[in-house]
Amino acid sequence: MNMELSRRTFLKGASAGLAGTTIGALGFGEAETAYAAAIRPFKLAGTTETRNTCTYCSVACGIIMYSKGNLAKGEKADIIHIEGDVDHPTNRGTLCPKGAALLDYVHAETRLKYPMVRKPGSDKFERVSWDYALDRIARLMKDDRDRNIVEKNNDGVTVNRWTTTGFLAASATTNETAWATYKVVRSAGMVVFDNQARV
Amino acid sequence: MSETGASRHDPIPIGEIAAPPFARLPDPSALFAARALRFWALAQDHALAPYLRFLGHLSECQHRLQEGLPEPDMPAADMRARAREHGMPPLDRGRFTADAALDVTLDRLFALAAEIDMPDSARAALVRASAADPVARDAMVRAVLADAIPVETVADHVYVAAALQVHFARMAARLDVAVLVPVGEGACPACGEAPVASAIVGWQGAHGARFCTCSLCATQWHVVRIKCVLCDSTEGIAYQELEGGAGTVKAETCENCHGYVKILAQQKDPTLEPVADDVASLGLDLLLREAGYRRGAVNPFLLGY
Repeated sequence: MNMELSRRTFLKGASAGLAGTTIGALGFGEAETAYAAAIRPFKLAGTTETRNTCTYCSVACGIIMYSKGNLAKGEKADIIHIEGDVDHPTNRGTLCPKGAALLDYVHAETRLKYPMVRKPGSDKFERVSWDYALDRIARLMKDDRDRNIVEKNNDGVTVNRWTTTGFLAASATTNETAWATYKVVRSAGMVVFDNQARV
Repeated sequence: MSETGASRHDPIPIGEIAAPPFARLPDPSALFAARALRFWALAQDHALAPYLRFLGHLSECQHRLQEGLPEPDMPAADMRARAREHGMPPLDRGRFTADAALDVTLDRLFALAAEIDMPDSARAALVRASAADPVARDAMVRAVLADAIPVETVADHVYVAAALQVHFARMAARLDVAVLVPVGEGACPACGEAPVASAIVGWQGAHGARFCTCSLCATQWHVVRIKCVLCDSTEGIAYQELEGGAGTVKAETCENCHGYVKILAQQKDPTLEPVADDVASLGLDLLLREAGYRRGAVNPFLLGY
């Protein structure tokens, strides 16, 4: 691109007293000036497009998210459109019905934003702290595992199966996250499991 | 095999799977006619209408002059093979030598353009360009191909650039698209020239993919989206348009090189044409220049911006 740049510099540098643009040089300078004046009151409106990975299953389709508002300039960004990424080798621009509804998930009033629990006998969810949620999940998992772990099969072979709790992990993860998730979940004996490492 | 049950049918497409080709060669027999129509359509309601109409007529000349033109001289097969081996474009602008086809193209363009209603300075430039002796003519061809048009004679070179667009589009159309290879960022795989604009296309089997259009030979090549076509950066890419615009002509700005190339949403509006809509969206260039961005596209009809 250097050649192109040097030409522009040359044009700018030499334009004093000369018609510096094709439009002016061809004698349309009047229209050019009028157009430039008409454009002056306008402002630029910016959008960004961001590549991401759909998190809703382990296929991990590529998506392009369109947003208005520049976070880098301290503005609030708002996602206005999501579509399949044509350049992504997994889905090549396509999306499943879940993926096609991503924009609605993002803006859903009922979207989960913090840990919530519906206690036994209650008819509504209530907000809880992360500490409470993690402690309670760990407690329930431990109790369930202690009660239901299958250590040996009918032939007396050690199998250590834990089939009464399942684990669904995120798909938009790195290899390392997927590896760690897999090791933790499988070492506990859990067999009902899906995450990125499957694909 | 017996035919029982529901009648057989093709699988129902559950999504339009895009498999964009690397490049698409121009069709010069339709390219310039479509461009002329687009220029005229844009001139319907535009402050630059006189200029757009003039370029519409010039595009029409580019279309009409092709009838019965001699075949262009193509670079030798071994030269093209060597260029491919080293990731260079098969049409070498630096070693280009004028042939009979280009001479006829230039002569016809000058003759046809003389019939266009145009301002005095455009007319004077046309007279100068058509009266140029072979040496001066060759110098103008080289200046256009090297992107080094001297500022004093921009107008004269516009006609030569228009003829070269026809000539290179005809040469590119005679290449084998299957042997084209990427030759670098922001460079046409057929002739190495910079793009005039890029577009999200709506083609069957490639819809939603982005293609750059060469400013010289009009070859289109696939470029991954959300990536600066000038410097290959994927960081700090934004899309700017005039406030209240239709969202179909935007500038893809890059915070890495502070350059931009326009991107047309052809999947929303198939009538968008890279060269014509680049000129007609000059307002975007004016505002982006004030914002400190450098125009990275090449368009002989819009030099100086």
